[in-house]
Amino acid sequence: MFRYTKLTLLREVGLWALALLFLTPFYFLVTTALKPDTELFTTSALAPPTSPDFSNFVDVLTATGNSNVVMGLVNSAIITAGSIVGLIALGSITGYVITRSTRRWSKGAYYLFLIAIILPGQLGAVPLYMGARSMGLTGSAWGLIILYTGMLLPLSIFLYANFFRGLGTDYEEAATIDGASKSQIFSKVVFPMMAPATGTVTIFAGLIVWNDFFTSLIFLGGSANQTLPVAMYYYIGSLVSQWNSIFAIVIVSMIPILALFLFAQKRFIQGFSGGLKG
Amino acid sequence: MKSERLDMTQHRRYSGLKVGALAVPTVAALILTGCSASTGSSSSSGGSQEFSLSFATSNTMESPFQVLAENYMKSHPNVKITFNPQPNDSYDQTLRTQLQAGNASDVVVTSPGSGTGRSILPLAQAGFLEPLDDAAKKLVPEGSTSTFGSDGKVYGQATEITISALVSNETAAAAAGGFPADFSSLQQQCKALESSGKSLFALAGAAPPNTGLMAMSLAASRVYAEDPKWNDKRAAKETTFAGSDGWKSALEAVNTLKDAGCFQKGAAGGGFDAITKGLASGTSVSGFIPAPSWKQLQSAAGGSQFAVRPLPAEQGSGKSYLFASANYAFSINAASKNKDAAKAFLDWAAQPEQTKAFAEIDGALPVSGLDTYDFDGGAYKNVGALIKDGKYGPLPNIQWPNSAVYDALATGVQGIITGQKSPDQVLQAMDAAWGQ
Amino acid sequence: MTATMQPKSEAAEAPRRGKRTPGAGENTRPRRGPMQFGHWWWALPGIALVFAIHYVATGIGGFFAFTNWTGIGSFKITGLANFEAIFKDPTKLGALSNTLFLAFGSVLLGNIAGLVIALGLNRVLKTRYILRTLFFMPVVLSPLATAYIWKYIFDFDGPLNAFLAAIGAGDQAKPWLADPQWAIWTVLVVLVWSSTGFAMVIFMAGLAGVPVEVEEAAAIDGANLWQRFRNVTLPAIRPAVAIATTLGIVQGLRVFDPIMALTGGGPAGATETLATQVYKQAFALGNFGGGAALALVLAAIILIFAVLQQRLTRSNPED
Repeated sequence: MFRYTKLTLLREVGLWALALLFLTPFYFLVTTALKPDTELFTTSALAPPTSPDFSNFVDVLTATGNSNVVMGLVNSAIITAGSIVGLIALGSITGYVITRSTRRWSKGAYYLFLIAIILPGQLGAVPLYMGARSMGLTGSAWGLIILYTGMLLPLSIFLYANFFRGLGTDYEEAATIDGASKSQIFSKVVFPMMAPATGTVTIFAGLIVWNDFFTSLIFLGGSANQTLPVAMYYYIGSLVSQWNSIFAIVIVSMIPILALFLFAQKRFIQGFSGGLKG
Repeated sequence: MKSERLDMTQHRRYSGLKVGALAVPTVAALILTGCSASTGSSSSSGGSQEFSLSFATSNTMESPFQVLAENYMKSHPNVKITFNPQPNDSYDQTLRTQLQAGNASDVVVTSPGSGTGRSILPLAQAGFLEPLDDAAKKLVPEGSTSTFGSDGKVYGQATEITISALVSNETAAAAAGGFPADFSSLQQQCKALESSGKSLFALAGAAPPNTGLMAMSLAASRVYAEDPKWNDKRAAKETTFAGSDGWKSALEAVNTLKDAGCFQKGAAGGGFDAITKGLASGTSVSGFIPAPSWKQLQSAAGGSQFAVRPLPAEQGSGKSYLFASANYAFSINAASKNKDAAKAFLDWAAQPEQTKAFAEIDGALPVSGLDTYDFDGGAYKNVGALIKDGKYGPLPNIQWPNSAVYDALATGVQGIITGQKSPDQVLQAMDAAWGQ
Repeated sequence: MTATMQPKSEAAEAPRRGKRTPGAGENTRPRRGPMQFGHWWWALPGIALVFAIHYVATGIGGFFAFTNWTGIGSFKITGLANFEAIFKDPTKLGALSNTLFLAFGSVLLGNIAGLVIALGLNRVLKTRYILRTLFFMPVVLSPLATAYIWKYIFDFDGPLNAFLAAIGAGDQAKPWLADPQWAIWTVLVVLVWSSTGFAMVIFMAGLAGVPVEVEEAAAIDGANLWQRFRNVTLPAIRPAVAIATTLGIVQGLRVFDPIMALTGGGPAGATETLATQVYKQAFALGNFGGGAALALVLAAIILIFAVLQQRLTRSNPED
C-alpha cells in the first residue's frame, strides 16, 4: 500500500506543472532582473533577456548612502536575530508557565495574549511612538528589538502554549523526582523538547521582522541603522520604472529569508504538528 | 504643487510602503508615526550655531532645500545643520507626530494654508510654529496672507513660486503640429495623436494627486479666471461645488478629454512613471505636473526641450488662467531650542540673491522679484504674459479647509475616468468633505 | 540557545511521542493538580511587555475614537459622533463589503488550494520537499516585493496584457488594477497567491499526524478516495483547518499592505477596505478620531468572526 505507482508519478508530474504555473511571477522576477536597461522596453515582457547580465545586482550591492543595501542587510540581520532570540526566550517561558500553571489567572493570561493578536495596531501607534521616544528607544537597534519582541510576543506565546498543550508532563515529572530544580527542568529538559515550536517561532518572527518596513522606518528613521526594507524603499524610490533594478533588489532581499526557511523548515512543520494537537 | 512633483517618483513607493505580515497588528499600523528626528534638536549641544532641518524628499535628485542649506554652511563655516530628510509620502505624518511629541527639527518645511498634513494654519493654531519676523512677511505673495498665518502673524517663509499647469515636451509638440491654442483644437489634436499611437496628455490615473491637479487645471479658466475669490465664497457658504456651473463644466471636461482620446492607453492605471516615461520619450506631449519638473525631465530626456504651458481655455486663447503660488515654506518649530540659529538661516534665505538661487536650483520661479523676471527664452516663456497680466491665483486646494476635500476631488476624478462616478457625485462629495 | 542535555534526535521525537499516546498531557494534568512546573512569576516580564505595548498603547489610542482629535493640537470629547458618522458614510460601507469579500474569498480559495496541494504532496512523492519549498516561496516574499511583482504583471504594458495579445485576445487587455470590475479580483488573486503556501504548510503538518494504518485500513475496506478523505483525513486535520482558517480570517479582515501597495484603494474606492480607510482617515486626512473609531469597529468585527470561526471548527471543547 502507498507505494510509488504510476498514479503517484502522474500526481508528481501534475504537481510540478501546478508549481511551475504558481511560480510564473518568479519567472518574471528573475528574467526581468537579468535584463540590461537596453532590453527593458525593447523586448517583450514575456521574453527572457537575450543577453542576460548581472549589472543590476552589482548596482544594488554597491549603492551607497540611504540605499546602502549591504548595510541594510547587516542591520536587518542583527535586528531580526535579536528579535528572534527575545521572542524565543520570553515566548517559551511565558507560554510554558501559563500552560502548566494551574492557577486561575493563567487562563486569563492566555486570553490576554490571544486578544492582543487581534487588537488593531493602528490605534496604539502614536502613543507607542511617544512612549518609545521618551524612553530613548528610537534610533537604535536595541530599541527596535524590544519593540518587535513586544509586538510579536502574543503570537510567539500562542504558538508555544499550543505546543505545550500537546506535550505530556512525563519528562518534567521524572526530572522532578530526580531532584532537578524548576529552572533546571525548564532550561535542560523542557526547552530542548520545544525545538519544533522554536522552529515555528523562528520562521514566523523571522519573516515578519525581516520584511517589516514601517516600524523600522519610523523608529530608526534618520539613524545609521537602516534596515533592508528601508534601504530597498530608498533604492527603489529613485528608479521610476526600472523594473530590472527593482527586481534585482527584491531578489537580494528575499534570499536570506528563503535560506532561513530552508534551514528551519523541518522544525517549522513539526512545530505546527505539535501545535495542532491541542 | 510641489509635493506632486515629488510624488512622481514617490508614488509607487507610497503604495509599496505598506508592509507588515501575518498576524501582527501593531506592525502595519505604525505607519503613521514616522520619525526621522531621533537625532533631532534635543541632541544639539545648546550652541545657537547648530540646528536641524526637516524636508520631504524624493530620491531622484538632491533636495533643493538641502542644496540651499549646504550653501549656507559653506558661507557660514561655524554653522552646522543636521538634515532630516523624510520620504514625501510619510512626511506629513512624521512632521505632525514629531511636533506633537516635541522632538521635531528646528526648521521644518511646511505648506501654506490648511489643505494638507503639513499646512501652516492648523499647525500654527495648535501652537507648534514660531511666529516669524519681517523678512518672512515681505516674502508672502500678494493675496496669500491668510494662508501664512492669522492676526498679523506669519508662520512660514515662502521659498519659491511654483506654477501648476502643464509641462510639455516642446519637441514632441512641434512634431505634432504645434501645441493647440484653444480647447476645441485641443480635442482635434488629441484624436490625431491617438490615431498615431501617441497622446496629448500623460495621466497618472491611479495616482490621485495627479487626477486632482488635472481637475484643478481644468477649473482654472472655468472657475477661478472669472471668480478668483471663489474659495472665499465657498468658505462663506455663498456657493457650493455642486452648485457651481464652472466646477461642473470642469469635471465634465474630464469626460470630454477622455472621449477625445487625450490620455495615453491604460491611463486609468498609470502611475507617475507613466508621465515621466511618456513625456521623456515623447509618446505623450504634456502632463499636469508642477512646473519645476521641466528641469528634471529635460535632463532625463536628452535632446528634447521642455516648457511650462497653461491649459488652453475653453473660450479661446486669451482666457487662460494659471495657478502660481508659494507652495512650500520654511517654518520654525515653536519648541526649538535653537531658534536664533534657525532665524538667522531664514533671514539669510530671504535675501533676494538667495531666493533667486533657490528658484534656479529647483527650476521654479523666485518668490521675490517676479515683476522684473525675464521670462523670454526660458522654460517659462509661454506663461510670462499671464503672470505679467496678473492672470493667476494660488493653487485652490491651499485654501480649502482640510485635505479631505482635495482627496474627494482626486479620487472622484479617477472615478469619472473609469466611469464609476458622475461629475455631480464628485462635487457633492467635495461639499460633504468641506464641512467635515 | 542554551546547552541541551538531550540528544537532538530525541528532542525531535518528543512531539511525535506525545501524539502517539493521545491525550497523555490532557488526561494527566488534572490528576496531578498539585504538581507545579515553573514559577508563576516567570510569566511577568512577558505579560508586562504585552500589556504595555498592546493594551496601554491601544487603550490610549482607542480613547481618541470618542474625540474629534485631528492628530495634533487640542481635542474635544464628542461621544459616539464618530461612530454615527461611520454608519452614514457609503464609502465606509463599501469598504466593509470589500473587506468581507476579500477576507472570505482569500480564506476559502487559499485554504482549498493549500489543502489540495498538501494532499497531493502527502506520502511517497519523491520530490515532495522540493515542491513544498517551491509552493512556500511566495510566503517568504515581503508584501512590498509581492506588490512590486504583481504590479508589473498587471501593468498595462506588462506580461499579462502581452500574453493576451500573444494568444490573440489583445482586445481584452486593460489596466487591470484600475478597472472598476477587475481591480478587486486582482487583489484577491494576489492575496490567494501569497497565502496558499502558508495554508499548505499547516495542512501538511496536520496530515503528517494522520496514522497511515487507519488510512490503509479504510482503503482495504474499499473506501474510495473521497470517502477516505471525508471520513478519515478530514476529521484528523480539523485542528489544522481551525488554525489555518482562524489565522486567515484574522489576517484577511485586516488586509492592508497588499491593497495599499497594489491599488491604494482605487480606482475611486473600488478596492477600499476598512484597514485602508482607518489609515487614510487617521493619518492621511487628519481625522484621527474618526480613524480610531473605525479601527475599533474593525477590531470588533475581527473578534466576532474569530470567535465564530473557532466555534465552527473546534473539534472538541477546549480543556
